This record gives sequence, C-alpha cells and structure tokens, in this order.
Amino acid sequence: MSKIMTVDILSSIKGAQPSEAVNKLFEVIKNAQTTNNTSFNNNRNHCLSLNDLREDEVIESSAIEKQIIIENFPKEKNGYLVVSKIIEE
Amino acid sequence: MESQIYKLHQQLINKDISCVDLVTEKLNALKENTNNTVNATLDDLALSLAKKVDTKIANGKTIGLLEGIPFGIKDVYMLQGTTTTASSNLLKNYKSAYTATAIEKLLDAGAIPIVKENCDSFGHGSSSENTIFGAVKNAINPNLVGGGSSGGSAVNVAKDYTVFSIGGDTGGSVRQPAGYNHVYGLKPTYGRISRYGLMAYASSTDCVGPIAKSVEDIRIVLNVMSGKDVKDQTTYTSAEINAESITDASEIKSVGYFKNFIESDAIDSKIKSDFLKTIEKIKAKGIEVKELDFFQSDILVSTYYTLAMAETASNLSRLDGSNYGNRIDDKNLKESYAVTRSENFSEETKRRIVGGNQVLSQGFSDEIYLKSLALRDAISENFEDDFKDVDIILSPVTPSTPPEIGNSLKDPHAMYLSDAYTVGFSLGQLPTLTVPQGTETGLQITAAKTKDELVLKFANFLKDTI
Repeated sequence: MSKIMTVDILSSIKGAQPSEAVNKLFEVIKNAQTTNNTSFNNNRNHCLSLNDLREDEVIESSAIEKQIIIENFPKEKNGYLVVSKIIEE
Repeated sequence: MESQIYKLHQQLINKDISCVDLVTEKLNALKENTNNTVNATLDDLALSLAKKVDTKIANGKTIGLLEGIPFGIKDVYMLQGTTTTASSNLLKNYKSAYTATAIEKLLDAGAIPIVKENCDSFGHGSSSENTIFGAVKNAINPNLVGGGSSGGSAVNVAKDYTVFSIGGDTGGSVRQPAGYNHVYGLKPTYGRISRYGLMAYASSTDCVGPIAKSVEDIRIVLNVMSGKDVKDQTTYTSAEINAESITDASEIKSVGYFKNFIESDAIDSKIKSDFLKTIEKIKAKGIEVKELDFFQSDILVSTYYTLAMAETASNLSRLDGSNYGNRIDDKNLKESYAVTRSENFSEETKRRIVGGNQVLSQGFSDEIYLKSLALRDAISENFEDDFKDVDIILSPVTPSTPPEIGNSLKDPHAMYLSDAYTVGFSLGQLPTLTVPQGTETGLQITAAKTKDELVLKFANFLKDTI
C-alpha cells in the first residue's frame, strides 16, 4: 500500500517542485563536516522541566473570542462551520 | 539620556500636547505616507484610548511612562478584534480572536497601538517585498528596500510615524531592517518575551523584538514585554534592567569579532573599512579586542534556512482554509486544501514550505534535517566557547547596503545569503541589538544567553565612543 508522496502532495500545493535556490542550501549541508549527526545527546536544546509544565486544564474562551472565531469561518450556517465534501478514497 | 518616550511623556503631563492630538498626528502621518508601511491603521481603538489618557491627565491623575505613547505592531501579532493578515492573501480578512501576550503587556502599561505594519508575508523575506500591500520603501532612500521581514516597523520608527514598533525576528527580521533604516532593533534572548499570539514562522528562533530610536526606549519596552508566560512554555523569568545600570559599561573588558565575516569576499569594502575603524576606536578605549573563528557564512545560512523551512512547513500546515482564511472550495476537502494554499500563498512562502517538506521527508531527514540540527549544536558550542573569552561579540549587520526594490525577489538564493551575519545569533538564541552606527547598515552587539543588559550597556558605550 505504500505510496510515494511527492512534495506537492506533502505540501498541499498544486504543481509544487523543489527549487534550485533551496537545493543549493541543502547541498551545503550535505557537504558540511560535523562531529556527529545527532543533536539529542547534549543539554543545549531548549528543554522544559516536567516540574514546570502548565496545569492540564480546560480554560473557557471569552464570549468575544468565540464570536470572532465564528466570524472567521469561511462558510457558516446557523452558527456552525461548513466544510467541503469529505475525502472519499 | 535620549528617549523619545520620556520626551513625549513629559509633554503629555505638562499638557503641551493632548494625547488625542498626538495620536491624530501620527495616524495622519501614517495614512499620508508613501513608503507602504501600513496594512491598517487602528483609528477607533487608538483615539478612544487617547481620550481616556487625556481625561486622566485632566483629572490630575498620574500616568505611567508608556501611557498614551503611540506604537506600531508588525502585522503578525494578534490584537483582539483587529485584522491580522501576515501580509498574505490567505489571511487578508482574518480577525484576531485574542491578543498576543507581548502586546497585552504594552496595552496594560497604557501604550496605544495605532497601526498594523507591512512586512514580508509570514516573515518570509529579507526585504519586505513579499507582501500583498506593496514593497516597503526604505526610510532614507525610497528606491531601496525597507529591509525585512519587519520592514514597515523599522521605516515607521525611522520616519517618526510611531514612537516605537514591535517587530518579529526569526533570522534577522528586526536587526536587518533596523540597520537598513538607521534605528535600534533588538532581538532579545530567545524566551525572554512570550511568543504567544505571534504568528509562528520558525518556533525555535522566533523572537519578539522592539524597534526604537534610542537605547533607553528599547530598554523601557523590553522591560514591559519580558517575563514568564504560561502560554509560552519556552519563556523564562528575567530581572528588570535598570536605566542607571546600562550607563556603566566598565565590566566589559573584551570584545570579539568574527574574522571570516570581515575577510569575506562578499562584504562591501566600505562596510569592512568602517567596521575596522570602529574596532580601532574600541581598542583606543582600553578594551581588548580579539579575532574569533566562526563557521563559514554558507554553513550558517544553510543551517538556518533548513531548520526554518522545516519549522515553517509544519507551522503553516494549519493554514488550509477550513476554519479561517480565504478558502477556495473545490470538489472535495483535499482539493480545497490544495487550491486554497496554491492560490493564496506567495511564491516565496511556497518555496519555503516545499523546502521544509523536502527535508522532513523520509530519505532526506537524516542527511539534511538531522545534520542541520547537529550543525546548530556545533554553532551554539562555538558561541559558548567564545563567551568564555570575550564579553561582547561585535559584527556588521549585513555584508552589503540595501538592494534596490525589485532585485531580491529575482534571486532568492542571493537574498538568503544576505542574512549571513544575522542568522548565526538566531540559531544560538542570543541577545543581539542593531545600533545605527559604525557602518552604513549599523552594527550588531551580541552577548551570551540572557545577558541582554550587557548588550544595552555596550550600546550606550558605543554611542559615546564612535
């Protein structure tokens, strides 16, 4: 069932092709010298402490926030968001 | 000490000018301007806030330092009830449902937002030409670009249309336009200011950054916006920077600069000679100056863009027109996504999304994406070693002077390379300030992580030295 996913499908952009300008950047990376290829064994990454996470709780949005979210719906019917026909494959 | 904020504050409390008149004057200047800096003015909101400030003053009440001060906002920040377009077709009618933390803090301090400012679409650019609102024109020479991506913000400050503006800096987007328009622009340490409500470009380097005409104004605005925020878990608690403390730079004993930046063939000869003259003036003040080794510019640019594109491909995948945005319906949901994104994203944004999906896909990720992460670590390690030897790193902001409008979009690879001197500090998440001195496009002052105060100290020292 494996399917090759081309960049136009991955990006949801019709007819998208890799660009020469960007490929030049990637060539530099391919040819660069590094001491190792993994970055997960050091403490330089901006990590969060498990003791410092925010509370896992639902915070109700304000009435004005909800109203604006509805105003932003591209299509709306009786306060509900209208979406295109779902994928049939 | 020089400060536009103090000056206006004094005029307001002395009743030399009313806040309504001040705001009206700025709004009119913004509307009449021909530099394409404005995506929308915020007349009703600004004038109603200004009236409240005038009433407070008339009633003899004390006002805070930022109360009544008009400021601009790059059009990538949420401000509830206002349109936030990211200068894109996709979000041209999008209304912010909530307000960004950094902006909320300024509102709480009484500052008055007057304009949403033109910029490169989603921050994708170094010239503010990648926008549906027309290319931003440079404040000094309108034939040249305003710089980017926060071009509208830098030009507005340079032209006095805003007292300060809030830009966003992912790879140089505050520092480079500040340099191109001869104003101050700070990229604080990553995490000092909450990113909540800033439209995400590359989350691991996105920073909120103030642009102003004096070091003191940068300090005032930075203090107000800084701090831990539960809505952005990468934020940290920082101490307030005092006005007095940044007037004394005696603790700065050594300054370094990257010799490969200066010896590069790509650097403009005048920028090079002006930079070296600055170095001599610093030495003459008894500060030790050291030449430092650093990564080649093409490695810095490629590492930055690889990671930024991967992150933006992921961040912008939510923009499919289903819940908001300029949706174009087609035969089914998948086609609607594709048509909406194809028709509404600019060529540069599409180029970056496609590049990002390339490096994140199987077969490429190890060779390019993971290697870029490893290079980023090596760059950070290099900085850590450098700051064991020097207190400050000084560098030009750009290798060249601003290009003419129309040139950057023709050659995207050249545009990426023009970011050579700014992206390294973004990857290192370091505090870096552009000062409008030293070279035609200014100088960058960088210190170790969280040492934003030291950067401001050195900026004051340079003001008196060169």
